[in-house]
Amino acid sequence: MPDGSFAHPQQRQFNPYTDNGGTILAIAGADFTVIAGDTRQSEGYSIQTRYAPKVFRLTDRAVLAVNGFAADGNMFVKKVKQRLEWYRHAHAKDMPLRAIARLIQTMLYAQRFFPYYVYNILGGIEEDGTGAVYSFDPVGSYEREACRAAGAAQSLVQPFLDNQIYFKNQKAAAGQTHPTHLPLSDVLSIVIDSFTSATERHIEVGDGLEIFVVVTKGHSPQGLESIRNVQEVTTRADTDRMFVIRRELKKD
Amino acid sequence: MAAASVYSGAGFDFTNEVRNTFLTDRGIPLPKATSTGTTIVGCLFKDGIILGADTRATEGPIVADKNCEKIHYITDNIRCCGAGTAADTEFTTALISSNMELHALSTGRKPRVVTAMTMLKQMLFRYQGHIGAALVLGGVDTTGPQLFTIHPHGSTDKLPYVTMGSGSLAAMAIFEAKWRPNMERAEALDLVCAAISAGIFNDLGSGSNVDACVITASHTEMLRNFVKPNERAVKERSYQFRRGTTEYKKEEIRSLVVEEDVTYISAARGAEGEAMDTS
Amino acid sequence: METIDISRLKSGEVNLGTSIMAVQFKNGVVVGADSRTTTGSYIANRVTDKLTHVHDRIYCCRSGSAADTQAIADLVHYHLQLHTQMSGSPPPVHTAATIFQKFCYDNKDALSAGIIVAGWDKEVGPSVYNIPLGGGLFKQPWAIGGSGSTYVYGYCDATYKEGWDRDQTVEFVKNTLALAMSRDGSSGGVIRMCVITEDGVERLFVPGDQLPKFWQGKEVLGSDTKSADLASAVAMAVDA
Repeated sequence: MPDGSFAHPQQRQFNPYTDNGGTILAIAGADFTVIAGDTRQSEGYSIQTRYAPKVFRLTDRAVLAVNGFAADGNMFVKKVKQRLEWYRHAHAKDMPLRAIARLIQTMLYAQRFFPYYVYNILGGIEEDGTGAVYSFDPVGSYEREACRAAGAAQSLVQPFLDNQIYFKNQKAAAGQTHPTHLPLSDVLSIVIDSFTSATERHIEVGDGLEIFVVVTKGHSPQGLESIRNVQEVTTRADTDRMFVIRRELKKD
Repeated sequence: MAAASVYSGAGFDFTNEVRNTFLTDRGIPLPKATSTGTTIVGCLFKDGIILGADTRATEGPIVADKNCEKIHYITDNIRCCGAGTAADTEFTTALISSNMELHALSTGRKPRVVTAMTMLKQMLFRYQGHIGAALVLGGVDTTGPQLFTIHPHGSTDKLPYVTMGSGSLAAMAIFEAKWRPNMERAEALDLVCAAISAGIFNDLGSGSNVDACVITASHTEMLRNFVKPNERAVKERSYQFRRGTTEYKKEEIRSLVVEEDVTYISAARGAEGEAMDTS
Repeated sequence: METIDISRLKSGEVNLGTSIMAVQFKNGVVVGADSRTTTGSYIANRVTDKLTHVHDRIYCCRSGSAADTQAIADLVHYHLQLHTQMSGSPPPVHTAATIFQKFCYDNKDALSAGIIVAGWDKEVGPSVYNIPLGGGLFKQPWAIGGSGSTYVYGYCDATYKEGWDRDQTVEFVKNTLALAMSRDGSSGGVIRMCVITEDGVERLFVPGDQLPKFWQGKEVLGSDTKSADLASAVAMAVDA
């Protein structure tokens, strides 16, 4: 009872962490990966900003989505980018995706007893040209998956993804099987619907949606042509291609 | 020994109190009540009172109801906006509405806003803040337009423009900047809308639509979903499942039709029986 | 040592973190208060009336929990009406103060209410009673209360004189409250005053932008001409 009296012993503690809300998600296809996040940053019942990116381009074929405590997230991305630049200077090439995943694990575990309060999802293209998603917990445990949602609306979005991507609880029609990878257009629709739906039912999700699409070198980005507001952010010819899609989400 | 009564006395039932305290002490918290992390407002204008509310109800960070009604009926000329614990605002206003009707019947006079205000503050004070109802009470009676706020502990304020709930600061900012005495109906309604909208867009606890209620000496007009600035976007895909998608382990079909053999006894009145006189 | 902390407020409770005051003079009393009510750091009402009528010639100044003090004042108002009907004459201020004191003392564990009762009666003329947190009852020529009062005890002790007239007393109350409001963050807004005499009750109002002004630190912060120089100063050049 912090009532200003000295009748009872009182304990106070400095808490350096806050939760800044928002949600991220990534889905891997056969020759592409989609990584997305909303752009609202909040604290308690207040919106700090309606546009704070949570998804960052690391290399030509790797994208990192960071969610949780925004200050830690930004600092973590900054340090990962620095390590990737050092790698470029040392080896004259970009670090492969699986190596970035292992680097992130090491960097997170280095802070085991004062962790970065963030959930990371790394998406991109592997050296063999397949789409890949790696998801991390705050202290570095990670796993390669086909799809993952994290953040405030994880509990709303992940079951939907399990049902629509992994076809959980769906019996295939007689004599048919479920596809192992969905086409890009289907994946984009599912991502957009995930976020519009999370916006409806979670108060910390909304304002804007930023979707990164990475497509394997030489493969056509089929399914993107019908999408509004696509911007290509590929930096060099003869590499994997990268696109950004920006959408508005509800602002209440 | 008398059998256990099927009736319970008036008021709250505390039979589970001991068990729940035991559970709480063991670290099992009480279930979360739906709270209306809300924006509610009221303001005076030339001909009466306008009340306003958003329509979002939340359970923690989850939206429990996207279009709930927070402007409650008290009498024909009095309405009450509720913020706080949804169940508490609902039942408190319903109880006071009932008692106001009885009061009007027994006194034979038109109900007054101060009467409702006094009933509400006395009830909330008796429960020492355990009934989590934060209210904006407004109406027009023989003494003119009246507007009050009532806090959960039972304190009241009488002001020309008021706001409550988690969005009250956002809404009050609008009122402090733009409210003037003796506004016309249209501009006052616009102002209430702007105040509620400030709550809807800047407070995460508030959202969806604007409800408004205009009370004048002659008429009360409830403007349900007066503005709808947050319609859901059209979905990209249809999520219609193929028939037979859900797997099952066992199938059993039972007939619910009861079959009956009817034997007509022909002895007394003939095989066909006597036709009923339906004239 | 175990102390009972009665100054606590229940969480989220509306607080009258207040500056209140009452002063006797020859023909009557002057009661005064600021107008701020707060919930935490939010000002829930900036024009509150903390001078509450309990009878024709008896008012109270409320400080502490808004809910508690309103409930008590309503109850005392009821008792005084009853008293008037039963005895056929207006109640003495002492009677009102005693009823207040009974509620405050009997329920001291559940209440946070600091009340000043003041008024005029035909038996003793003007009188001021102070009922602080624990439910004591003290007759005083002047009383101050609420969180802002701690800043102005010295001023009151140094300034108060017996035998003032109405205008001098009003001026004293106004100045004291302005000083308290300027130092106490939980007090502020406007000053409301009531002059209670045999003839009636007169309400006085001082808007927030017309409060009496005292030393405001000009000697330390510099005059207007100096601050104008500051505004025209150029920011220090920094290498990019």
